[in-house]
Parts: sequence; C-alpha cells; structure tokens
Amino acid sequence: MTDTAIRAEAPPNVAAASSREAILRRMRGSDAIFHFVTRLAAITVLVVLGGGIAALVFGAWPAMQTFGFGFLTSGSWNPVTEQFGAVAPMYGTIVTAVIAMVVAVPISLMIALFLTDLCPMWLRRPIGIAIELLAGIPSIIYGIWGLFVFAPFLQTTLQPALIDLFGNVPVLSNLFAGPPYGIGVLTAGLILAIMVLPLVTSISRDVFDTVPPVLKEAAYGVGCTTWEVFRYVVLPYTRVGVVGGFMLGLGRALGETMAVTFVIGNAHRISASVLAPGTTISATIANEFTEAVGDLYTSSLILLALILFVITFIVLAISRWLLSRVERRIG
Amino acid sequence: MSETINRYYPGRRRRNIVTTGLAYVATAIGLGWLVIILAVLLWEGFSGLSVAVFTEMTPPPGSDGGLLNPIIGSLIMTALGVLFGTPIGILAGTYMAEYGRHGRLANIVRFINDILLSAPSIVIGLIVYEIVVYPMGHFSAWAGAIALGIIVIPVVVRTTEDMLLLVPNPLREAASALGLPRAYVVRHVCYRAASAGMITGVLLAVARISGETAPLLFTALNNQFWSTDLNSPMASLPVVIFQFALSPYKDWQALAWTGALIITLAVLALSITARALTASGKRS
Amino acid sequence: MNTNTTLSAPDVAQPSVDVSRLDVKIGVRDLKFYYGDALALKGINLSLYRNMVTAFIGPSGCGKSTLLRVLNRMYDLYPGQRATGEVLVDGQNILAAGQDPNLLRSRVGMVFQKPTPFPMSIYENIAFGIRLYERLSRAEIDARVESALRRVALWEEVKDKLHNNGLSLSGGQQQRLCIARTVAVQPQVILLDEPCSALDPISTAKIEELIDELKSDYTIAIVTHNLQQAARCSDFTAFMYLGDLVEFDQTHTMFTLPRDRRTQDYITGRFG
Repeated sequence: MTDTAIRAEAPPNVAAASSREAILRRMRGSDAIFHFVTRLAAITVLVVLGGGIAALVFGAWPAMQTFGFGFLTSGSWNPVTEQFGAVAPMYGTIVTAVIAMVVAVPISLMIALFLTDLCPMWLRRPIGIAIELLAGIPSIIYGIWGLFVFAPFLQTTLQPALIDLFGNVPVLSNLFAGPPYGIGVLTAGLILAIMVLPLVTSISRDVFDTVPPVLKEAAYGVGCTTWEVFRYVVLPYTRVGVVGGFMLGLGRALGETMAVTFVIGNAHRISASVLAPGTTISATIANEFTEAVGDLYTSSLILLALILFVITFIVLAISRWLLSRVERRIG
Repeated sequence: MSETINRYYPGRRRRNIVTTGLAYVATAIGLGWLVIILAVLLWEGFSGLSVAVFTEMTPPPGSDGGLLNPIIGSLIMTALGVLFGTPIGILAGTYMAEYGRHGRLANIVRFINDILLSAPSIVIGLIVYEIVVYPMGHFSAWAGAIALGIIVIPVVVRTTEDMLLLVPNPLREAASALGLPRAYVVRHVCYRAASAGMITGVLLAVARISGETAPLLFTALNNQFWSTDLNSPMASLPVVIFQFALSPYKDWQALAWTGALIITLAVLALSITARALTASGKRS
Repeated sequence: MNTNTTLSAPDVAQPSVDVSRLDVKIGVRDLKFYYGDALALKGINLSLYRNMVTAFIGPSGCGKSTLLRVLNRMYDLYPGQRATGEVLVDGQNILAAGQDPNLLRSRVGMVFQKPTPFPMSIYENIAFGIRLYERLSRAEIDARVESALRRVALWEEVKDKLHNNGLSLSGGQQQRLCIARTVAVQPQVILLDEPCSALDPISTAKIEELIDELKSDYTIAIVTHNLQQAARCSDFTAFMYLGDLVEFDQTHTMFTLPRDRRTQDYITGRFG
C-alpha cells in the first residue's frame, strides 16, 4: 500500500473561509431555533391531547365521584332524579357501529375488488375519484338525508318486511320486533354504513393496488380464477392495510355524531329490537349538552365523552398493535 | 393430473362467477346509494336556492330569509381555524419527518396524532367547551375556531410528514452537500419539493372542517342574527342545518337542504382543487 | 456496468507522476466506520493529493461510497452511523469534536449517483448556493451563474431557458447542472459518487471530459463501477474490498502491475 506523509500547507483564501465560517455560525443559530420551534409544535400536539384528557377528567370528576363504576353498569338516565348511567348510550354506540361495519366492510371489499380487477380501465379513475370525493362529504349531509329520505323509506319497506319475515322465528323475532318507526338503531347503523363505505373502499383499493403485479400474474399463471387470486393472494398480502382501513372505519362509526343524531330517535333505553329508537354516546351529548341543567347532568355528559374517547383510543391502539404484529411477521 | 384439474374446475369456475358477480352488485349498490343521496341533495337544495339565501339573515319560523349570517360565520371560523391549526401542523409534521424521524418523541407524537386524527369531533367540541367556553363564561366564535383548529392540526401534521417523507433523501443530501444546515435544507428544498402535497393537506383540512358540526355545537353555538364579534356566539352553516332540519317548520327544512347543498358543493370544490394540485405536482 | 468485460490492455490516459512532489489535500488515518454495530470500513489509510483525481473502485458493498460519505461527513445526517480514526483536510481532523460539518461541506462538495436538481429553475439551482454564502448584487450573481454553467459546458445549452425548471433538462444536463451548483459555492474538493451510472455514454463522456478539466482547480475523488472510467480519468486508484483498502496506487501502475491478487482478479473481470 502506497502512502506518503502528510505535509502541512497553508489553507487557501483565508479571508473568504473566515467570512463563510461566520455566515455558517449565524445559520447554525437559526437552524437551532427552527429545530426548537418544530419540536415545540410537535410537543403541542401532545399537549393538546393531554390537556384535552385532563379537561375531560376534570369536567367528569363530579359524575365519577357520585356514580363511580356504577356509571358503567347503570341503565338509568333520569335528569329529574339526577340518576345517570352509561349503559344505554354505550350499547347504542356499539350496536350501531357493529351494524355499520357488518354491512359496509364486505361491500367495500367487493367494490375494491371490482375497481382493481374487474372494472374496465377507462372507468377506474372516474369511479375511484368519485369514491374519494364522497369520502369527504360532511356527515351532516348523510344525517339530513337519513332523516328526510332514508328513514321514511325504511319505515314503509325494509322494516315491515323484516318484521313479517322474522315475526315467527324464535330469537330473531325479538331482534326485529315492531312497530316500524323508521328512525331507530338499525337506521342509524345503515346510515353509518353508507357513510363509512367510501372511506373503507378507498383505503382497501389503495392497499390492493400495492400488490405487485408479478404476484398476481404468477397466480393467474398457474390457472387461478379472479376470485382465487383475490382470496389467496391479494387479501393475504394486504391484510395489514385492510385491517387498518377497517379500524379507521370503525373509529369513525363509533364517534360519528351528526349522521346518527338525526335518525336514532334519542331514547335512553336498551331494546332488544334494532328497529326501536335508541341513542349513542355522541347523539346523547349532541342532543342534551346545551340544555343540560345542573352540574351533575353536565358532568355526566362529559364523562360519557371521556368514555367514548377511551373506546376510540382503545380501538385505535389495538389496530396499531395488530398492524405492527402483522408487519413484523411479514418483515 | 389433468383429470384432477377438470374435476375441480367447474366448481371453481362457478364460485368465481358468483363472487365476481357479487363484486359488480356491490359496486352498483354502493355507488347507487351515493348517487341517490347526491341526487336528492341537488334536487332539494336547488329548489330552495335563490339570491335571498346569500343576502338575508336566518328567518324566524314562518317567514322568509336566507343563510347569510351562517355562511359568513362558517367562513370566519373556518379561516381562523386554518390559521390556527396550519402552522402548528406544518411545524410538527416537519419535526417528525426531518429532525426526529426515528426518535422517541416523533414516534409518540405520530401515535397521538393518529388518535387525534380519528378522535370523535364531538369530544373535541366538549374539550374546547371545558377549556375555553367554561372559563370565559360564554359561547364564542373564538371557541369555535379553536375547536376547528384542533381538528386541522392532525390532518396537516399527517400530510406534511407524509409529503416530506416522499422527498427523496438524495435531494436532502445534495442540499446538505452545499453546506446548508438542516433548517435551510428543509425550508428551501424540502418544502419546495413537497409544496403541492402540503397545500393539498391544508385544502383537505379546510374541506374537513367546513362541514364539521359537532365541535361547534357547544363552542360557537348559534346566532340568529348578524354578528362578526368573535367574542359572542356565531352562526355556522352546519349548526344551522342541524337546527333547521330537526325543526317542524317546512321553510326551515328547505333552508337546511339548501345549506347542505352549499356545504357539499364547497367541500367538493375544495377536494377537486386539492386533487388537481397533487396531480399537477406529480406531473412536474 | 463494464465490470464483466476483460481489460486486457487498459486504456490508461494519465501518465505517472512523482508522488513525493504532491501535496496531500486529505489524509485518512485508520478510519473505521460503523452502521450501527456493523463495521463497514475496517481501518483505512490513504491520501488524496491536491489537484489529482482519485478513483475508488471495488465490488458493490465494498465501502467505497461509505468512504466518500465520510469525507464530507454526509453520514452525520443519519443516526446510528459513526466514524473513528482521523480524516485530515488541510491538516485538520474533521472527525474531531467541534468541527462544523456544514463548513466542511461548503469546502468539500459532492455530486450524487442520480442527478439531484432542486425543485426550482436552472438559474435558481445555482444562484441558491451562491446567495447563501455571499451578499452579491443581481449582476454579480448573474455573472457567477454564467461562469459556473460555462465551467461545466452547459451554458450554451441552457442560456435561453435559465428560468425553466431544472427537472426539464436531460439526465446528463441535470448532472452537469449539479456539478455547476457544486462548483458555484467554490469548494476545494469535489466528491463524485458514481456520477455517470445513470447516464448514457455520450453524457458520460462529457462528464469525464469535465472531470479532467476541473482537476486543475479542485481535488477530485470519484467512486465508479466502471473500470475504464477509472482508468481514463483518474491519477490514483484505490481498490477496496469488503471494507478494506486492498491496494492504492497510481492508476497507471494499478492497471498495469497490480500487486494484490484480488486487485488483479477484479480489474480483469474475474469477479465483481
């Protein structure tokens, strides 16, 4: 290995170098400030959430002290006697969200399958764009449509049909017990389904698009049908993203206020029938908060909000945990 | 070998026809519903649309009027919300993509941000009620704007981080190779490269908050009259729609439809602009 | 690219020089480099001479790009990467604490594998760097931009579209724009990291010409996969293998009389 000794030499252009040093020193200062400001902004995000939780806990404190864990198990909601419990709205929240996901997820996946594999090329973009645009339509639009169009429609068609159909079937007759009000838990769930449909569809389509074409071609190459490619190649390959889209839709359905408030009927009771009016956490808050008199009433509503927040927090945390586990398995 | 294939093939083919057929049906159902919703909205909305909608105040039941005060209120609070949320969102997104990419703080903020992103907006309304309205003692447009701003932040953080992460690292290295400190690399090169996407993020945030109802219910409340006082309650389109739609009065319900149409058209226009921007950004 | 062809009679352009009469611009002493826990450079010693072109060759993953990225501390941008030993630029150890990497980079410029024009106009791509370090009038900046573009023989091609986006140029033009951008901030050393691997043969020839032209003012280090390129445009060649510097010598000697068996195998295309 050839090597020669280093000989010292005078740095060229000393003046230019020193002025450059000064400029860079100033820049370093401004870099430090920028770094600090961005860090502060990032911390603000944490503070917003932390402060929000603290504010909710503070506001919910009187109700927590009065009812304790009984709040989570009590079904009564009586502003006159100031007896409050979260069971009815929690039940409504979960049931409507479950109905929404049961209806929306299969349809969304099938639409996404259509868009990625069956749709003629020239139609893909228009339909894709339309679905993305629809995902951004405010929920109040779905609410007002549900109230004036969808609920009356269900009242005269689907609901009587369900009541007739299941009226003599043992368990299901309770689930679909009449009368058909139009508004109610089922209607709210279906509206939610229509609302989360574009969201889940567009995410599913995006993740299906990430499947490398070679992978699909290889499967078609061994004679798989479109359905088999979807079922045994696309779905397993993209389950991470699909679960992500599903969870996002669920989070949206659980916390949605306006689409539900219009059509659920706002009745604080737990009915076995999905045709009966009910309430959700968010609908209860939206309907009652400004009219709530008395600290305990207000505080109970804030406690409801805290519970809703915790539920959505858990849904999201689980989804992230699931995703990271699946990611690790793939990687 | 080939016999086996033949034995199973008809069943597989049938299953394929049934399931792909279902995909067509699902698409028809899904798009059909959405077309129906939009058709009803256009029909009901346009039948109530007139000049008076944009020039007159919200009426008492039984008389004529328009939606001027809620339209202005929505514009004011949306603008304030964006002004409040965008800088924080962009800076926080910058921290996560540029300075703290793999750090613990960035990971925590990313997690929290995802939660804020999908946090129920009514909860955010209540939080702002507790922090702003309750101490102040009254509802105000400020409170409404803050609630909307809190909804803007996570949207902008997310898009900013995503867009900056799309900026290729060699570009950063090239800028650093000129001797630039990180802040200059970010501001002069990365922001420029990601600008279309970042603007898209802000537009999407505007679209999102311009239709938000729940966070305004207990913050800005509503106002029957003309008001630009940020310290007092202020009308907004979504809240007025909510109130009017649930009322028993036919003319209020008609105005609610018209308001819904206006919001939808505004949101669609924003989303289309945002899409066009990213599309043109991709081309260059 | 051409590593598979046998170099029976390498076309070495540069004549041999008397090493004892050269100035050392950058001295590397026992340099070790780590990606996390993985040792990527296993104690490198070599010297880059002033106004000479030094080529780094070797199979992929041998550490040649890594070494280049130590010379301007580019690795600083990424957490978990660190270097030990000494890299003396004009006798100053740039790895020592308290050294400003940005100042270093303003003196040791770098051009990358893929052209990296900034998302701005051709003019701005060059003026941008100049404005950072100097307060100049509009006319002075114009002059500097022109001279930088002339330096890389791009002026005639772009003088009528200076305000077009830098991305509108062809790949070879973009790469010359990037060299002009580097030259414009007046560095002393230019590091080229496989600058031609994304270019067509004609653009490659232009860049090689340019390298020959630039070495009168700058010390140049170039990483290349193309052995002919190393032979054509470098004065010194370093052959690296698995994080070691196997052989470092004048290009002329290296390509005619390699001392190490591995070098011989590599330059005759027996592995790579």
